[in-house]
Formats: sequence, C-alpha cells, structure tokens
Amino acid sequence: MTASPPAQPSPPQRAEAAPRPLRVVIAEDAALFREGLARLLADRGHQVVAGVGDADALLAAVDRHRPDVAVADIRMPPTHTDEGLRAAIELRRDHPGTGVLVLSQYIETRYAARLLEGNAAGVGYLLKDRVADVAEFADALSRVAAGGTALDPEVVGQLVRATRHVQGIATLTPRERDVLALMAEGRSNAGIAAALVVSAGVVEKHVASIFAKLGLPASEADNRRVLAVLRYLRT
Amino acid sequence: MESMGSTGSIMRAAGEPRVPSAPSAGTTLTAATAAAVRAPFTARARRDLLFCLAEVPLSLAVFAFPLVLSGLLLTVRLLANGTSPSTPASGGRPPGVAPGLLGGLVILLAVVIILPRAARGLGVLHRRLAASVLGQQVAAPPPPRRGRGVLGRPAAMLRDGPGWRAAAYLLVKLPVLVVEAYAVFFAAVGLANLTYPFWWPLFRNHPPGTALQPVTVLTPFGSFGVASFAGTWAAFAAGAAMVLAAPWVARAGAAADVWLMRGMLGPGRLAQRVADLEQSRALAVEDSAATLRRLERDLHDGAQIRLATLAMNLGLAREKLSADADPQVRELVDAAHQGAKDALADLRNLARGIHPPALDHGLPDALATLAAGSAVPVTLSTALPRRPAPAIETMAYFCAAELLANAAKHSHAHQVTVDVAEQGPSLVLSVGDDGVGGADPARGSGLSGLAQRARTVDGQVDVVSPPGGPTRVTVTLPMRA
Repeated sequence: MTASPPAQPSPPQRAEAAPRPLRVVIAEDAALFREGLARLLADRGHQVVAGVGDADALLAAVDRHRPDVAVADIRMPPTHTDEGLRAAIELRRDHPGTGVLVLSQYIETRYAARLLEGNAAGVGYLLKDRVADVAEFADALSRVAAGGTALDPEVVGQLVRATRHVQGIATLTPRERDVLALMAEGRSNAGIAAALVVSAGVVEKHVASIFAKLGLPASEADNRRVLAVLRYLRT
Repeated sequence: MESMGSTGSIMRAAGEPRVPSAPSAGTTLTAATAAAVRAPFTARARRDLLFCLAEVPLSLAVFAFPLVLSGLLLTVRLLANGTSPSTPASGGRPPGVAPGLLGGLVILLAVVIILPRAARGLGVLHRRLAASVLGQQVAAPPPPRRGRGVLGRPAAMLRDGPGWRAAAYLLVKLPVLVVEAYAVFFAAVGLANLTYPFWWPLFRNHPPGTALQPVTVLTPFGSFGVASFAGTWAAFAAGAAMVLAAPWVARAGAAADVWLMRGMLGPGRLAQRVADLEQSRALAVEDSAATLRRLERDLHDGAQIRLATLAMNLGLAREKLSADADPQVRELVDAAHQGAKDALADLRNLARGIHPPALDHGLPDALATLAAGSAVPVTLSTALPRRPAPAIETMAYFCAAELLANAAKHSHAHQVTVDVAEQGPSLVLSVGDDGVGGADPARGSGLSGLAQRARTVDGQVDVVSPPGGPTRVTVTLPMRA
C-alpha cells in the first residue's frame, strides 16, 4: 500500500471487486473538506457529479444524478445535528441502488443502529479521520457503492465492548477476534486477508471457526454475513 | 381651597375667577400650574384613579373575616342553644355550653390557621392589581411550605411568615384605604358638582316665589345647600377644585399602597436576595453550558475540519510519493500524516469532553451512546417525559460518565444499571453496580467532585456502597438550573 502509484487501485481493492470509476455526490457543509474530498476522489478516477452543502440539496442531487454512491456529513445546516443522517436514511429507502456513506467527526452507536436498521447493504458509517488513509477509504467507498458495508472500527469496537455475549467472544482466539471485528466492519475475506497480511485460505478457516464457535449460520453473501455478526454483537 | 366649604358667597368669590381661567390658562399660568390643570387628564391620573377605585372594594374584603367568624360563632351558639332544650331537664346547661364553647374554639382555631393562607390569596389579588393597572411589579413571596401529617400541615400554615405579613398588610393599609377612598370620592363627587350649573336651569325653572329645599352639595369638608342659580357656580367651583385635586390624592394613595405592598406582600429582603442570587446563578450555569456548546461547535466547524482536511491531503501526498522518493521525505510525510491523525483524535476527545454532541438529541440518546462505549455492560432505563434544561442535561451526562468510569475502574462489576427518571421537580440519575463496593466520597475518587458539581444547582449525591457491594449512587438535580 505504501508504494502504490497514483490513480492506481491498491492490491486489496483489486481483490475486492473490479474497480470501476464511480459517480459520487458529496454533501458536506465545510467547503474546505468538500473540495479536498472531491479532489481525492477525482484523483482516484471517480467522478464527483455534485458537491452540495446541506441535506435538501443532497436529496435533490441524488434524485437528479442517480449516483453510485453518496457521501454525506452528519452535521449540516440548518440545525447542525443529524440532518445528514436523516437524509441518508431517506436515500436508503428511496434509492436502494445508491450506496450511502455517512461521515462524521464522532461515532454514535445510536446513529449506526438507525442507519443499518436491519439492512446492511450499500451503507457505510466512518469517522472523517478515515479519509486520511486514502486507500482504505477508497476501498470502503467502492464497497458501499457495490452494495457492501463499511462500518468504522470504532463502532465495531463499541459493539464488541457492549455485547452481552461476553462468554461467546471469550472462546475466540485473539486472531479470531480480529477477524470478527474486520467482518463486522464489512470487509470480505480478501479484504480481511489483506488487512491482516495473511492468505485468503487462512481467513476462510478463521471465519468458519468463528461461526462454529458463536453458533451463527454458515457464511453467506458478505452483507448478510455483516448483518449476522452485527446482530450477534448487538443482542 | 380651605374656604370652599364655609359659605356659598365666599365660594363664589373664590371660585368664579378660576372657572374661566382654566381653558385660557396656558399663557398666564406658570408651567407648574399648567401641569396641575392637565393632571386630571393624563393617563397616569386615570390609572391611579382606577387603581384606587378597585382597591376600595378589594381592601374591604378583609372585613369578611370578622363577619364570617362572628357568623360562624353565632351559628354554633344558636345550635348549642337549640339542642339544650332537648337535653334532659336534670342535665341543666353544661351539656349545651360545652359543645358550644368547644365548637367556637375549634372555629376560632381554624380561622386563625387559615388566616395567613387567605391573606396570601388576597395579597395575590392586590399585587396583580398593582401590576395590571399601575404597571408596578411586586415580586411574589416564596411559596408556602407544605407540612406533613395531621398536625404538621396546620403547623406549617401557622408558621407561614409571608402569610402573616400579608395579613398585616391588609390591616396596616386601612389608613391608605381612606386616602384611596377619598381619591375616588374627589373624582366622582367633583364631577357631579361640576354639573350643577348645567341642569339647574332645566329643573329649577319654577315660578318665582316657589319655596324649594336647597340642593345639597358635597365637599370633602362638609356639605352646603344651594338655593339659587348663582349658588350652583359655587358647587361648580368646588367640583373643579376636587377634580383637580383628585389625581394627586389618587397618586398619594396608590404610591403609599405600592410602597406597603413592596414591604409586606413581597418576598422580604433576605428572601428577595436569595431569589436574586438563585436567578443569577441559574443564568451563570445556563450561560456556561451554552458557552461550552458554542465552543464545541466552533471546534467542530473550525479546527477539526482543518485538521481532517490536512490529514486527508497528507494521506494523498503520501500516496503520490513515488517509489524511489527520498526515504527521509517519505519518513517526514509519514510522521506528519500520523501526527495529523493523532491530533484529530485528541481534538475529538477534547471536544467530546466539552460538550458531547449526542446531547443535542437529549439525555436518553446521549446516555445510550455512553452506555454503548462502557467497558462494563450497562442496562439503561430512562423515563423523561420532559426535557430538562440543557445545563442539567450536561451535568447529568457528565455525572453518568464519571460514575460509569468509576464502576469500570474500581468496582470490578460485571453489570451496571443506569436509571434516569423525572420525579416531581427533580431529575434523578441512579447508577448501580454489582461490584465490590466500599466507595467513599470522603476519600476523593471523584465522588466528592461530583457532589460539588451537583451542589452548584442545589442538587445532591447520595452514595450507598457497603464493603462487598453493591454500590448505588443517586444524583438528584433540579429539572431547571
């Protein structure tokens, strides 16, 4: 990752899915960050079709441009509380084909729960800090655009800490716990393998072992798997 | 004016020059006289007069007390007398007297107990009158304390200082009432006197020689009879003088009354001071909460955005460094990138400590987020039909955060419960754990700081933590600071 040439997808991304240029709408009220984000995405070959500053404009822009993915800040005018989140939930309902990646300077578990609400397809919730790790952020964006999930490690960490299945988690090896957290973030086996610098086969073995230990139904499609893991952690 | 009441002829001599002078006064009279003439026609005069007019019946209501009391006593007496004939003749009077005396005492006691509360009620009416008619706001006294139990309740009513002061006001104001009644009298009778010359020719046009009773004219200093048309001008002059004097009498009465109200119906000097301090403290508490919130918002929209953009740009720069770039440059960019990310995380924690953004959606949401981040599993229950003041929400949030951190650090608990509920005027936050107990507010541990913070809004912290556990800390805060 460290030496990946500009405008070239990094190896983990290639492993995820065929990297394709995405059509993106950005909603962020701070112009500085919005411009920076647009430049970053353009640099990676994506097309930013609209950059807007509030939730209403976001809904209008998605209606008009039908992008692959919308990136939305949670706190936007006029009240600077959760406009972006509410718009994101509306988008998920009205435009199932558009992925929604919500960015925030804080992680609120409640927000994550409201955003996922029984369906983890094409949705992401990340700290703004994560944008600084450009390759990982681009990876998460592609995943969300392709109908996958991208949950911030901090959300996952809170879920793991707060879960009542303390004993179930305790039966996992430290490595398996890492794999569980990465699964909850929404990564595919290949993504997990890249993050842990192990082979995909090893990850598959860990995943099977985790599912057996926790008594979860065997692994299915990625986003269903995320949901199963999240549901397990949340209850 | 003193000569007015003596005889009609003197009245006429003194009064007549004034009558034509009133309309054409502007040029000759001094400014003070002009003001005196204009006084009856000002809004203030109307307000003062209206106030006096309303105060008279309202103040007379105080006499309802002795009337009701004597009426009741009379009834009891009659009842006692009525029952005595039916008692056996050999019993004599005692069986009748005893219940009569007893009943009288009970009623007397009841009236004495109710008196302060009733006087408070009348005091409210007087204060409202001053506020609505004169625009003079007299602060309300502190509400009466409620006693508990069969004996406690009447005892509390008897000890009601403001109530007794209100009763004293109703008595002390009687001289002022006389002035107020005079003001009404001046205005009403003065206006009536002004009309004499106008209706006299209409009704007193009898043939010459008809003997007629003189018509009585009322003045503050007595009455005199008017028997001729010329005499009606004396009545007119007396009326003009009374109408001119009425605003000043009304003003004196109203001012004295308001002065008495401030002294006797208000909260009292010490209570007023306490109320003022409570109010300014509440303002300070609310203001500091608002300042912290603004600070967090400024951080969010300013420094945090700049740092996030900086970190993003450094991340991009790091990617764009070609493989054969100077390792030193790569190292520097890496360090800068990491530094920006660390600073961002620090800043986020700082901002969260200043004002947790989740509080924007109310305490239940914020506590849920807090519970989700706790190292020990938390069972949260909230029952808040109303939102507390923002400063109280912030305080409750930080108390909960501190108590959760304590439970995680010191108690070795497996399970923590957090309950928040509105109970009467209070917000009650209760945090319990199944840990080892032994928490002692006297030995630091943040609990004393918590109690100190709660005291700034008259809240309190109760700790029950026997050695061996379990621990329960209850924080009681007012719903409004």
